[in-house]
Amino acid sequence: MALTITCPVCGKRNGYEFRYGGEDKGPRPVEEGMTPRSWCDYVHMNACVAGVQKEWWCHKNGCGAWFTIHRNTLTNLEVEGVEVTS
Amino acid sequence: MFRRFKPLWGKKPGLKSTYDAVIIGGGLHSLATAYYLAKEQGMSNVAILEKNFIGFGGAGRNTAIVRANQRTQENVPLYKEALDLWPILTKELDYNLMFNNCGNLNLMHSEAAMNAARMNVCTAQFHGVESHLLDPRQIKELEPAINISPDITYPIHGAMFHPPGGVIRHDAVVWGLAKGAAAHGVHIHQQTEATAIHTDGGKITGVETHRGRINSPRVLVSAGGYSAGIINKMMGVKLPISVLTIQAMVTQPLKPVLHHVVSSGMYHAYANQTLKGEIATGAHMDQWPNYTTLTTAHYIKHQAEALSEFLPFLRGVKFMRHWAGLADMTPDMAPIMDGNDPVEGFYMNCGWGYFGFKSCTAAGRHMASFIAKGECPERLKPFGLRRYENHRLMGETAALVTYTPDN
Repeated sequence: MALTITCPVCGKRNGYEFRYGGEDKGPRPVEEGMTPRSWCDYVHMNACVAGVQKEWWCHKNGCGAWFTIHRNTLTNLEVEGVEVTS
Repeated sequence: MFRRFKPLWGKKPGLKSTYDAVIIGGGLHSLATAYYLAKEQGMSNVAILEKNFIGFGGAGRNTAIVRANQRTQENVPLYKEALDLWPILTKELDYNLMFNNCGNLNLMHSEAAMNAARMNVCTAQFHGVESHLLDPRQIKELEPAINISPDITYPIHGAMFHPPGGVIRHDAVVWGLAKGAAAHGVHIHQQTEATAIHTDGGKITGVETHRGRINSPRVLVSAGGYSAGIINKMMGVKLPISVLTIQAMVTQPLKPVLHHVVSSGMYHAYANQTLKGEIATGAHMDQWPNYTTLTTAHYIKHQAEALSEFLPFLRGVKFMRHWAGLADMTPDMAPIMDGNDPVEGFYMNCGWGYFGFKSCTAAGRHMASFIAKGECPERLKPFGLRRYENHRLMGETAALVTYTPDN
């Protein structure tokens, strides 16, 4: 389905200009005391939310900025100012 | 006809309060697991919970291609088992699955791709699966419709030919397995949504549905593309899965012209002619996770461009229908089949990406043994969830087409 994404620099643009950068998983885990499992959680594991999720995008064919948006995965529509519940 | 309607697989059963095993999802993996639980493992007090109707998801949306020419030592035998089961199941279920054993032709467009194909062929031959390499002239002799001229975007260097593969009617597999499972006593509950999984002291105790609570010591989540979301929501277990919408389409019916399943990794397209004469073709995935199952004009254009180059007879032919389904992609393009970890009695079978159809019978059979005995069968051991934290990812990404937002 067609998708538009709002880049903080360039504004609302066609989704095909962007590269998906994964679910937002918070900051990279600290090296100290890190286990293979906690690293694996950060690298591979996804919540796969059917609903609104916070996620990373890169404006690949544009300004190159990395940023986060909220998007509803059931409708492919960007959602503004919504608290993520799950 | 509306008043007297009853499902092909028997009367609509009432929801019991207790089952020996509950399966969430009413697709092919669930139906196959239930069928083999009842038939081979002596466990027939089994319920299938399906939110919509059986075959609503990937089971009815895939393009029905079956093959066993995967890349790794762990995967090929599993798919071979599934491929060998089709003629057996046709007899066993007394249901015509319409297995059209036409063979698969995977086109290669570079010398590097030919080298990868060489390794695939070696793996296949090692496991007793017929698969061999063809040069462009042999391709032309086998399938005259293919354009082997060097003046297309990706000229054809050769192909991997896998004669045992082909196409099966996917709806017939759904109905046949449902009929077989129901005949052995399995309860298929359609329009029944599982809303929660209950645990107590590290053990499964039951499933909550919108029609009431079911007690059961075993739960299998085998809901195709919806599995990862369900498992995270109900069990708090995150999986290395991205759920993408994948599209397919058919053209208007034509006279018999294409005699094999033809696919090309470089053009990101595959095509086969159905028994009705339509060219069924697909492959495009959205590049970001979503559950929309909606189609795009972007892809119709891509498909028209690709097909008119390597199958030029399709120029000017009209597309008739276009649909989409979900593919739950893992980083190593191999499924996750696991159980009793971290909760006793909890099983999962997911992450099949776009290979769920061709593997359903073998995976269901082994999952049935896993659930009934509580011990992981040898064949499924490499597919455990912990392979990711142990850095034992499988090499299936080296197979033909890799689609994932991770790369």
